[in-house]
Amino acid sequence: MAPPWCLCWALLPALALALLGLAAAAGPRQTPALELAEELAEELWSAGLPGDLPELEPECRSLLAAFAEGSAALTGCLGRRARPVRLCQGCHGHYRRLLAQYDSIARAVGNSSESHNCAKSILTSDRLQIVVTLSEFFNETWEAANCANCLKNSSEGLSNSTEEFLDLFNKSLTCFEHNLQGQVTDLSPNNYTEVCKNCNETYTRLNDLYNHLQRMNRQGGESAHSAHLCIDVEDAMNITRKLWSRTFNCSLPCSDTVPVIAVSSFILFLPIVFYLSSFLHSKQKKRILILPKRIQSNANLVNIQEKYS
Amino acid sequence: MPHIPQETEVPRQRPNEIPHNEKLLSLKYESLDYDNSENQLFLEEERRINHAAFRTVEIKRWVICAMIGILTGLVACFIDIVVENLAGLKYRVVKDNIDKFTAKGGLSFSLLLWATLNASVVMVGSLIVAFIEPVAAGSGIPQIKCYLNGVKIPHVVRLKGLCYKCPSVPYQAVPTGGLASSMSCPLPSLLFQIFEYFRRDTEKRDFVSAGAAAGVSAAFGAPVGGVLFSLEEGASFWNQFLTWRIFFASMISTFTLNSVLSVYHGNAWDLSSPGLINFGRFDSEKMGYTIQEIPIFIFMGVVGGILGALFNALNYWLTMFRIRYIHRPCLQVVEAMLVAAVTATVGFVMIYCSRDCQPIQGSSVAYPLQLFCADGEYNSMATAFFNTPEKSVVNLFHDPPGSYNPMTLGMFTLMYFFLACWTYGLTVSAGVFIPSLLIGAAWGRLFGISLAYLTKGSIWADPGKYALMGAAAQLGGIVRMTLSLTVIMMEATGNVTYGFPIMLVLMTAKIVGDYFVEGLYDMHIQLQSVPFLHWEAPVTSHSLTAREVMSTPVTCLRRIERVGTVVDILSDTSSNHNGFPVVESNPDATQVAGLRGLILRSQLIVLLKHKVFVERTNLNLVQRRLKLKDFRDAYPRFPPIQSIHVSQDERECMIDLSEFMNPSPYTVPQVMARAPSAQLPWDQGGLGGQVMARAPSAQLPWDQGGLGGQVMARAPSAQLPWDQGGLGGQVMARDPSAQLPWDQGGLGGQVMARDPSAQLPRDQGGLEGWLGVLQPPEPCSALQEASLPRVFKLFRALGLRHLVVVDNRNEVSPCSLCPSSLGSSRGQGHAVPRLCVPTWGCTLSLSWQVVGMVTRKDLARYRLGKEGLEELSLAQT
Repeated sequence: MAPPWCLCWALLPALALALLGLAAAAGPRQTPALELAEELAEELWSAGLPGDLPELEPECRSLLAAFAEGSAALTGCLGRRARPVRLCQGCHGHYRRLLAQYDSIARAVGNSSESHNCAKSILTSDRLQIVVTLSEFFNETWEAANCANCLKNSSEGLSNSTEEFLDLFNKSLTCFEHNLQGQVTDLSPNNYTEVCKNCNETYTRLNDLYNHLQRMNRQGGESAHSAHLCIDVEDAMNITRKLWSRTFNCSLPCSDTVPVIAVSSFILFLPIVFYLSSFLHSKQKKRILILPKRIQSNANLVNIQEKYS
Repeated sequence: MPHIPQETEVPRQRPNEIPHNEKLLSLKYESLDYDNSENQLFLEEERRINHAAFRTVEIKRWVICAMIGILTGLVACFIDIVVENLAGLKYRVVKDNIDKFTAKGGLSFSLLLWATLNASVVMVGSLIVAFIEPVAAGSGIPQIKCYLNGVKIPHVVRLKGLCYKCPSVPYQAVPTGGLASSMSCPLPSLLFQIFEYFRRDTEKRDFVSAGAAAGVSAAFGAPVGGVLFSLEEGASFWNQFLTWRIFFASMISTFTLNSVLSVYHGNAWDLSSPGLINFGRFDSEKMGYTIQEIPIFIFMGVVGGILGALFNALNYWLTMFRIRYIHRPCLQVVEAMLVAAVTATVGFVMIYCSRDCQPIQGSSVAYPLQLFCADGEYNSMATAFFNTPEKSVVNLFHDPPGSYNPMTLGMFTLMYFFLACWTYGLTVSAGVFIPSLLIGAAWGRLFGISLAYLTKGSIWADPGKYALMGAAAQLGGIVRMTLSLTVIMMEATGNVTYGFPIMLVLMTAKIVGDYFVEGLYDMHIQLQSVPFLHWEAPVTSHSLTAREVMSTPVTCLRRIERVGTVVDILSDTSSNHNGFPVVESNPDATQVAGLRGLILRSQLIVLLKHKVFVERTNLNLVQRRLKLKDFRDAYPRFPPIQSIHVSQDERECMIDLSEFMNPSPYTVPQVMARAPSAQLPWDQGGLGGQVMARAPSAQLPWDQGGLGGQVMARAPSAQLPWDQGGLGGQVMARDPSAQLPWDQGGLGGQVMARDPSAQLPRDQGGLEGWLGVLQPPEPCSALQEASLPRVFKLFRALGLRHLVVVDNRNEVSPCSLCPSSLGSSRGQGHAVPRLCVPTWGCTLSLSWQVVGMVTRKDLARYRLGKEGLEELSLAQT
């Protein structure tokens, strides 16, 4: 028996894709998210069965609609900001709202009648439990992206260090752009020396700041999960580094080969000298044979004495 | 039938100084005495201690085992923590330095720094080993193996050794990981300070086996593997109770380690965190194996065997060179430092030349070194060198496929192979276990990668499994352990299903490796000229007899001996004997008299120290009688004879040894039939035989098919029909023509029929056979003797230290010399090697004349070499 969440896992990507597709289709019209929400609400109404069965309370229905709207908005946001990664910067508002909506569903004990409480009817009354699955998916994505790391403690807005980092990041990107303008025509890999020289300062500051953040984070964090910085920062750094090292080829050249070879061959030479000199000069250790007190027999043993005489 | 010449030949002229080689036996090693000396004092003490006291002794044994376990765990913990921190410090310093100089240029300084750091750290460890405690060198496993075999290696089980070994191990964090297994063995000696009853070689040996097991179990988190290690590599003497006790000790040690380490790592009382070297959990679902892989594993075993043999052969030459030329401590220290510096240099050059960059993923790499890699990537060669070997092994086992570049792995394996080979045998406390695991894991993983590449990534995609098999194969090929290594690997990986392929791999590796050279530990034992007794005597040695093997003539002491003589014999440096047969005090000094017992040098020294002289006893100068406790107090460090002062007057005193000697030493006969017409056809090897000895007409047909028996038939007119406890038998001895047909099918027995009507059936429980046919004195011509395998078996099985070879001869012995005390104080099953003959007055009595002595060295000399049986020579080392 597979636990229920296994099923949810399989369903998730499909669901997210479907939602994305919907969002894309609604593209040119005004505020796609809003429209989508309306559509969803209509679907909900029409899905309702004729009145004889107990159905969702109107309050619950509106809560569900809000959740659906929120999740659609968040999915859209995540999808649109997937590359280059800007998840934490762009979507934290959506995420916070969705959390609140989910909370209100989970906490809303049906205020009108005791028998119908929203948490029960929305969250746990079927096998699929799509709302729970959705909210789990968002939570896990958020955790994996480690967004909490670059947000303020109250998760309103980016933390100061992140702001600073992004600022520096933008600065270095601008610097790259500036210095590249003259050389657009000539893209041979060795011609970026200008960039390397001019932007070195900004880049080094950025790199140092990143390393500093990483170190701070590693010291503060206990578990292995928080060893990462938030994905936005990591990705920004990765992009810059890739530009710097791969595209511009500004990473350090393999320098001072000659002294290294000299020193290492000197050290490697030492044992040879040592062994040779001890072979030549050290007195070979001789063992003094002891004549055993024994009856000499002419048993046909291989006689060791003969070998060494 | 060998003809024994009447007189010893003049030894041929031979060089008495030869260069060291493997065919030597050193004189510096003594044997341990696993046989209890059942002298008067011992019997007295046994009578005094009641039954309940013996029960407390048993409880104390358990307490000691528990303490061994706990202490071993603590020591292992200490080492683990210190190694981790020291290595961490070193890698951090070097990494920071390299990072600094990468930008500025001048990496050669980093190289120098690394090399110096390595060399200086090793220097400390090596100084300790070379100048203070040479026994602490190496992994310690050969030494423990020798000790448990019965060879007394000086200092090996002393607390001092541990004290020096402990701090010197962490310094080896550089090239090879230190293994804690052997270190715990000295622990028992600490406990002996508390429990004086156990100050005996026998007890100590048992506790040392427990210590060895506890050490391995702490090192690998493998309690069962530890017990089996102790069984396979060490204990020559084993019984069920001991197994259970040793298992107890190793369990305790594992869990002490676990709990202390869990406290150290912050999650207190979590007992499930495993041992020092933990191979990580192999998930059998993800890393299962199929039947198609078995041939591949076996092939890996073959590769491991060949590589192991290569390793051993290289190390053999190196060790030989070291023994011959690098024997001065300062040279040894220099060598160790050079090796450390070269290790650092090789590592640095490989890192420098490597262009294999891997992206940093999380914090899996402890010390990522960027060097010339792009930002955000690290040099993957650097991670291989910038890690403790234990961690590297675990990484090789468990890193996901694709995290290693085959080229990097290949270079690393190659370099590490030679470095590890070079390192083993240095005067540092570095073992071979972890390095060989690392080498094996590296080439195993390489093998796995190439396999996945060849099969285009089929089910065998995971190279971690192959890394494990490679590690097993390499280690098996080097040390040639089978059973214990299988179980250790199984326990350390926590996967029982891998037991079968690991077993196959180890088996193949051993078979293939043994075809070329022997195991590393055996090789080093041989190179150290240790008189090591293997399980069996060499197979082709049956033609050798006790007479050829024994040392002769023997320095004997008389039962009542002059103190001066004892002192002189003991101080004679040219014959540094440790056991002396005690013979009857015969006033006629020219004739060697019968054997009465055996006394050890250590006992004599205690006697001299306490001045137990006859004259002083008579004058009531001695306050109290000497007790067994006095001997125990001196154990195990008996003072040298030079430190005992004996005055000129005292030299003239007499010393009575009869109370202190072991009155029933094990002996083998040198059967001699003397007669104008001696006929002794017999078969001793088969299931039955007949002996007919007539002189003038004695008939002794008998069957010696059992495990041993001892028969003596004497004349002039003895009739001895009897049943000897076993299957039954009859002895008839008649004079002048004695007939002795009998059956001695029991487990062993010793029969003496003496003149004129004495009966001494005895059971000696052992394995030996003992024959004696006594005839009237005649010119001697020996016809047959106990063969070497028999002597060997007796020696090995009983853990003897001295074995007296006797001859039988009539002698005139006045009755007064038979001390009545001996007969009365004896319990059941102990026989007197002589009897008084009340009827004849002073008359002929049987005595066993000492003709030679077999010691460990005499037996260990014979070895099966490439061209058949070889004889090693004794040498002063």
